[in-house]
Amino acid sequence: MENQEKQFRLNVTRRHFLTKAGLGFGSAALGSLLFKDQLFGANDASSLPLGLAQYAPKAKRIIYLFQNGAPSQLETFDYKPLLNKMHGEELPASIRMGQRLTGMTANQDKFPLIGSTFGFSQYGQSGAWISSLFPNMASIADDICIVKTMNTEAINHDPALTFFQTGSQQGNRPSMGAWMSYGLGSENANLPAYTVLLSRGRGNGQGVYSKLWSNGFLDSVHQGVVFSSGENPVLYLNNPEGQDKKSRRDMLDELAKFNSEAFENFGDPEINTRIKQYEMSYRMQSAVPELTDLSKESDNTIKMYGPDCLVPGTYAANCLLARKLSESGVRFVQLYHQGWDTHGNLANDMTMQAEDVDRASAALVKDLKQRGLLDETLVIWGGEFGRTNYCQGKIDKDNYGRDHHPKCFSIWMAGGGIKPGTVYGETDEFGYNITRDPVSVHDFHATVLHLMGINHEQLTYKHLGRRYRLTDVAGQVVNGIIA
Amino acid sequence: MSRHLSVLSNLIIVLQVFLIVFCFVDVSVLPPYVMFAGRFHPLILHLPISLIILLIPFSFYVQRRKEHTDLNSLFELVLHYIAIIATLTALAGFLLAAGGGYEPAALQFHKWLGVAIAFVSHALIYLRKAFVSRLAFWNTSLLATLMLTITGSHYGGTLTHGEGFFAFKEKKESGVVIPTFTEKTTVFAGAVQPVLMAKCAYCHNDQKMKGGLNMKDIASMIKGGKNGAMWVSGDPEKSLMIQRMLLDLDDKNHMPPKGKTQLSSAEMHLFAEWIRAGANAKKTYHALAETDTLKKIIAKIIETDPTLKEEKVYAFEAASASSIKKLNSPFRTIRQLSANSPALSVTFFLQEKFTLELLKECKSIGDQIVELSLSGMPADDQIFPIISSFTNLEKLNLNATSITGKGLTELAELKKLEQLSVASTSIKADDLSSLLKMPALKSIYIWNSKISEADLTTLKSKSKPIHWELGYIPNKTEVLQLSVPLPADKDKMILDNEEYIVLKNPMPNAKIRYTTDGTTPDSLTGQVFTNPIPATNLLRIKAITTAPGWISSEVTDISFYRKGISVDSAKLLTEPSRGGPLGIKILIDLKKGLSQTGDQLYTSWLGFVNNPLKAGFYFKKNTPINKVVISTADMTGSSSSGGNPFPPRKIVIKGGPDPKHLKQIGTASPEVPSARRPNASIPYIVSIEPGTYNYIELEVHQLAKLPSWHPEKGQKAWVFVDEVFFY
Repeated sequence: MENQEKQFRLNVTRRHFLTKAGLGFGSAALGSLLFKDQLFGANDASSLPLGLAQYAPKAKRIIYLFQNGAPSQLETFDYKPLLNKMHGEELPASIRMGQRLTGMTANQDKFPLIGSTFGFSQYGQSGAWISSLFPNMASIADDICIVKTMNTEAINHDPALTFFQTGSQQGNRPSMGAWMSYGLGSENANLPAYTVLLSRGRGNGQGVYSKLWSNGFLDSVHQGVVFSSGENPVLYLNNPEGQDKKSRRDMLDELAKFNSEAFENFGDPEINTRIKQYEMSYRMQSAVPELTDLSKESDNTIKMYGPDCLVPGTYAANCLLARKLSESGVRFVQLYHQGWDTHGNLANDMTMQAEDVDRASAALVKDLKQRGLLDETLVIWGGEFGRTNYCQGKIDKDNYGRDHHPKCFSIWMAGGGIKPGTVYGETDEFGYNITRDPVSVHDFHATVLHLMGINHEQLTYKHLGRRYRLTDVAGQVVNGIIA
Repeated sequence: MSRHLSVLSNLIIVLQVFLIVFCFVDVSVLPPYVMFAGRFHPLILHLPISLIILLIPFSFYVQRRKEHTDLNSLFELVLHYIAIIATLTALAGFLLAAGGGYEPAALQFHKWLGVAIAFVSHALIYLRKAFVSRLAFWNTSLLATLMLTITGSHYGGTLTHGEGFFAFKEKKESGVVIPTFTEKTTVFAGAVQPVLMAKCAYCHNDQKMKGGLNMKDIASMIKGGKNGAMWVSGDPEKSLMIQRMLLDLDDKNHMPPKGKTQLSSAEMHLFAEWIRAGANAKKTYHALAETDTLKKIIAKIIETDPTLKEEKVYAFEAASASSIKKLNSPFRTIRQLSANSPALSVTFFLQEKFTLELLKECKSIGDQIVELSLSGMPADDQIFPIISSFTNLEKLNLNATSITGKGLTELAELKKLEQLSVASTSIKADDLSSLLKMPALKSIYIWNSKISEADLTTLKSKSKPIHWELGYIPNKTEVLQLSVPLPADKDKMILDNEEYIVLKNPMPNAKIRYTTDGTTPDSLTGQVFTNPIPATNLLRIKAITTAPGWISSEVTDISFYRKGISVDSAKLLTEPSRGGPLGIKILIDLKKGLSQTGDQLYTSWLGFVNNPLKAGFYFKKNTPINKVVISTADMTGSSSSGGNPFPPRKIVIKGGPDPKHLKQIGTASPEVPSARRPNASIPYIVSIEPGTYNYIELEVHQLAKLPSWHPEKGQKAWVFVDEVFFY
């Protein structure tokens, strides 16, 4: 954006100034003194060479499998046998330490501890504990790094999601993918650098909103592009009946002339963005059919991801599409899978959710690996916070619920410079507080940017008089999870 | 001549206006190309100096020949040019200084003297006219200008050549080379010393030794200066260097002194922790424990300063920016691996745009290509002679290309190739035999090629130990369940008379079996779907997907409706708990809400929990109506917070000519499910007393309590309705 803006400001002020003063070099210099922000904002925007990794990146692309609604760490990767032992007993005040609860359970008289109804076993060389809900993810235990000590500041879905995606709870900032697109540019100019795929499981769902893939104050070319969950991931891409490719091309050329004229007259940088987007859409007419073409896939692909991968809009289909997008150079593929908000009916909901995501999540990692792409693709799996170790509502014989818990939760990462087959951090026996190596959301962002070859403190954008970063004023790279 | 002079004098005024502006603003914000003009300062600065020196003899010469008007004009012209060149020099000087890196005190003097020289040389033009008859005054002015010039030049020399350049003392470089930071370097050499060198050794070196302290090596540091040793091992609080750096910036003992580059907090932290750990000069970074504070600080410093990072160093030169730019296109992306790396990655996109020519053109950057991807491109064996000329290639991705493998042998020349991906190609084991001894090769990806597990064993036995990735091999004992059949068009659940029902499942070779009589189909019973099914008023289809080698899908329960008798108008008589804003429209908009996933529960359904659904429907005069069909959401398997949409307990239909004259014309009491069942949209048909009606009132009562098998037993059940049909 600032390039175009600069151009625009330069056009107007230079012309204006030249007519008044007619002094060539000197006037440009004086003009830039008087209008320095307008003319040369770039110096303030970022100290980095945009569009290139600052240092050799370990990961070139990211696929973020966001488990929207917050899967319980206690039924996934954080094995706490003590909770089964103390099943039904009150959560000790020494553990809770008066920490904040949501409005949904704050008024409960009792906080009975509750153990996982699902068994846990150890997998892989690291001996990572993984619940019986995820047999397929367990099979990639040697490829992933489980971070058990994520923690966040927000306690409700919307702010927590927004925090995870943009580094701020309020939601007026660019999201991770937009920062990547801004900092590293696009690898494949025929597709958006940042795409978003949505799916919904059968569990209790929470909404996702377009602000989560917003470009914030960055140029709108960096905005996440949502692919449709129908048969055609990008709608209206085919030429209308009776229009061939050439006449489409001619039409776009003419349109671009009009738009350029409009840009000359009004100077709105969004007009240039629009011209660029039209050009990309034109090329997407060829690029997208390649994405949806499954003819080059092996028969085993369906077995690997599960038959659902053929049904558009399912999580499995999105995982397969994510691989194809990533393979085609899309910098950041963001999936959201809804349905993890297990306030009640956890045993049932988790089972259904796990059925939907387990196989395909593992398949994605295996698929990248067998193509030699895992070492340059960072895969992230996780939700926006964790869930309480105590029961929400009444404990039933075979059902229970867990409320939101921001103090600790588990995610996993794989590929792209992550130390494979490891478990990072430790929580207390109650699965309530972190005892070793906490990883905040800012730390997570700093680490992800680092893996992509960017120093999180240097990728900045000046907006409303101050420089912004994804990590704002915090964040430390977690070296312990980097290979 | 006079015109020439007037142009010059105007130009001087303009330039000096700029000079005044430059005095009061920060010029460092100027664009790089303007800043570049600063580089001309050292080039032109000698002109005003020599001209001003020459001016003295010239002036005496002219004074003797007053009658030569030409000579006088020439003198005036020279004065003008001196003023111009002195001003330009000063302007360029400002630009150069803004780049930083100069000793501030000397810079201040030089700057203001330079400005003074520019203005004084301008003033000379007018002084000459004023003092035309008072030669002594004129000569004094000239001499003053000369002194000014010499002083200004001296400070300029100090800036460039350093303090004491004229002191006749031999100056030597300190000789410490900052090493690249690797894990084998010591903490001292890798982290502590470079910072000291960069920020302290300026004053504490062999030549300067301010305070008697020299930092050239650790021995001199331990020796310390006149105030004592730099540190007390193990005790940063008692260490002089730490105390000094923590003093207030304005304290005269603060180090580094005000005006010099200050230490960052990470650097101070580093010194403190290094001293706390015993100020050991031998300990390596590698030997530190992962949890060691010192290690974390250094890691942090490495992180903030990428130049300290271990980056792969390439021996080759970078390709020219113009040749990279020329080759870059949407179909052939060429990127530097990182901002400072000469190494390039080349990736091809869009199958229809790929030609061999595009690859051939890359030869101009062939030495720099380290990563190449032709993944998915229709590239055949002709690519190998071209690729084998990219001698620095490390990573080659040929996944899903059309190669047969015949030319693979040529890659053996690539001495640096580490990774080869040939997944989803038709290469065979034999094709790889010539590559097995490649010196740098570390991994080969052969998933979905013609190489079997048995082949791989043979290959492994013949090759050096490298990583082979055969990829996913299905577990033969694992049988998966198919996905359910779906309507071909989700928007076509409500059909016109001539429309047909089409079911589909994307699985190749799958069969769909269905029933319309409410029985459950399995892989043997039920009709195989081949032809579109004609719509009837209500067709409730139960269907499964079957295929050999797969578990049949769950039974899907989908209802298709034919558009019924159109409603003239309608109104809700009770408030819904959900779907309020759209109200009654939802029930008669001929749009089905999705039921499979509970999608659109908010926009396509009306939900009732506290009171029953009551609605009135008006028809054109005396419409014969026999049946009412209510489409409900049945989500006994759903989760709690979306409500629990259950089958209604009772449906009551009243009819008559108007709302005041109604009688009950039909009821239905659906069965309460005895266990959790898959989510579905279930229609309930209520046959009513045949007759003609102008108005029909519908009541749908929900179940008072969820049944005992439900996790939330005892809670209120909901009723969700998305459409009502009349036939």
